[in-house]
Amino acid sequence: MSGAARRPMLPVIGRSALLMFMSFIFVFYVGGPVYWLFKTSIEPEAQVAAVPPNWIPQDPTLFNFEAIISAGNEVTYETRRQGDPATGRFMPTGAKYLLPALWNSFSVGVAVAILNVLLSATAAYAIALIHFRGRRFTLYTILVTRVIPDIALIVPLFLLLRNFGLINTKAALITTYLAITVPFTIFILINYFQSVPRELYKAARIDGCSHLGVLRHVYLPLAMPAVVASLMFAFLTSWNEFLFALMLTQNIQAQTLPIIISGFALDFTVSFSFLNAAGVIAIVPPVVLAILFERYIVSGLTAGAVKG
Amino acid sequence: MAKIACRQLTKKYGNVTAIDRLDLEIRDTEFMVLLGPSGCGKTTTLNVIAGLEEVTEGDVYFDDTLMTYVPPHKREVAMVFQSYALYPQKTVFENIAFALRLRKVHDAEVRQLVQGAAEQLEITHLLERRPSELSGGQRQRVALGRAIVRKPSAFLMDEPLSNLDAALRVTMRALIKRLHRTMRTTFVYVTHDQAEAMTMADRIVVMRDGVIQQLGTPHEIYHRPRNLFVASFLGSPQINLVDGRLEAHEGGGSFVRGGWRVPLADARLANQSGREVVLGVRPEDLRVGGSDLEAAAELVSPLGSEQYVNACVDDVELVLRVDKDVTVSTGDRLPLGLDPRRLHVFDKQTGEALSGQPEP
Repeated sequence: MSGAARRPMLPVIGRSALLMFMSFIFVFYVGGPVYWLFKTSIEPEAQVAAVPPNWIPQDPTLFNFEAIISAGNEVTYETRRQGDPATGRFMPTGAKYLLPALWNSFSVGVAVAILNVLLSATAAYAIALIHFRGRRFTLYTILVTRVIPDIALIVPLFLLLRNFGLINTKAALITTYLAITVPFTIFILINYFQSVPRELYKAARIDGCSHLGVLRHVYLPLAMPAVVASLMFAFLTSWNEFLFALMLTQNIQAQTLPIIISGFALDFTVSFSFLNAAGVIAIVPPVVLAILFERYIVSGLTAGAVKG
Repeated sequence: MAKIACRQLTKKYGNVTAIDRLDLEIRDTEFMVLLGPSGCGKTTTLNVIAGLEEVTEGDVYFDDTLMTYVPPHKREVAMVFQSYALYPQKTVFENIAFALRLRKVHDAEVRQLVQGAAEQLEITHLLERRPSELSGGQRQRVALGRAIVRKPSAFLMDEPLSNLDAALRVTMRALIKRLHRTMRTTFVYVTHDQAEAMTMADRIVVMRDGVIQQLGTPHEIYHRPRNLFVASFLGSPQINLVDGRLEAHEGGGSFVRGGWRVPLADARLANQSGREVVLGVRPEDLRVGGSDLEAAAELVSPLGSEQYVNACVDDVELVLRVDKDVTVSTGDRLPLGLDPRRLHVFDKQTGEALSGQPEP
């Protein structure tokens, strides 16, 4: 065996060690806060601020979840101390709104996700495949609307929606969120649709598909990864949105989870364990969705359509 | 089954004119080949017939019914593409069945029709596979299956064999020709391959820059090319073209160039003395043995079944097709004979044929 052929082992080990180390830092950086959120949600208030901090919950409990979910309507200024008199934790006044807000967030999110894909897919199909006059102009106009910062639009939007009598409704949130998600989704889908060989469009038209048929039978199935990504993107945008929800909704008719949970931190006294239990509840639905749809987000669906 | 007519068809993309006032009549059950170099407008013409491109001007008729504004999915034509264009997410069976499914054909009938088409194309064993698991030839068979399963009124093919290797192309050529015979449907076939055009067509349209150069049977196109472009586009090796002029003499006209003096058969050329012309001679029409010209062999390319010889007469290089049994080596002096009736004369300025070969 010649010396040149032997692999120098030390640098290889060193490189993997460095990679491991950097990965660990990255995971800690991203996952650390989430871990802390989760940890404090299953321990009593007294341990949240323990010094020195404990990394592993001393005696894990689901009490925090039970308490805020079953808070019901009895939480008033007078009764809120009843949450856990022993430790002096204070039930947030907004706790009774937690479940209605969860439903609001979920229903608005699902509506935005579905409508977003329906609107964007048809628009993207038209722009990507039909050579109509004013096609470029349409595309640029759609994209330019996204350059304007949201905060600049709040007052006009508020006035507009008030004129339509939509303040405090889910419809107000849905239309507003669609205005945010649709342009991005159109942009993503146009690129995806254009990557599908144009012969497939021709073949489907010849086989007897109308434009809508081509979209339904050929382009949407082939763009499934992009469609699923758009569904997730729209749902998450809606789920996390705070600013518009704060301005456009004023009571539990339409208020979403971020508004209610942020309210937990605005009481006279704040209980971290309750606040964080609500936080965990807020991150569960998106995580579940991501796990459910993950298998659809695969590429290479168009393999074998055309030569090369 | 349909007769297809294009009337004054014009298609422009911005400033580029892809088709220029094209008039074309395709007969019912005819195998029509659109032949030309890339960019000549043949594919655009096919797309216009299919309805995939809107026309700038002019009209398309199927059996005297105006189709110009009928969307493609209502024209009942079938099409096969160069790139096969199979739906990658569907199995072979579903690819072939797709058009039937859209027409709400009963499930048992779909099964029967797909099976029938698959048997005809010998792909029954592939029905459950996906396109990505097939070879190029198999994919093209599936694409054909998708088209024949529907009994379309016209069958459009856009260079369907260009992506296949040479041997497969010959088999598929025969297969398509057989399909045409059994289906008795109008076929419109686009290609840049003259061999495909000559072997399959009932009639050929030769196109260039969006304009029809000549329309006729393969025999007419090959033996009586209407202009220089058609003459040089068909034939392999290419037709030999020699510049010169006409000269009249007793009993007819001759082509003259330096030492060349070639008598011409066509009497119409006799009184055009002095006209600048191009003489066209197909390689197979130059006979070794004869007394019209003497050439020096420069290069011999044996093909097995025959041989091509590049030979020089004065400063002109000619290609000859020579029988495989004739022994020719570089430097040989070859006496050449020309059959006056097999010569083509074109005007030098316009490229138009002045005489063609008479009907045999």
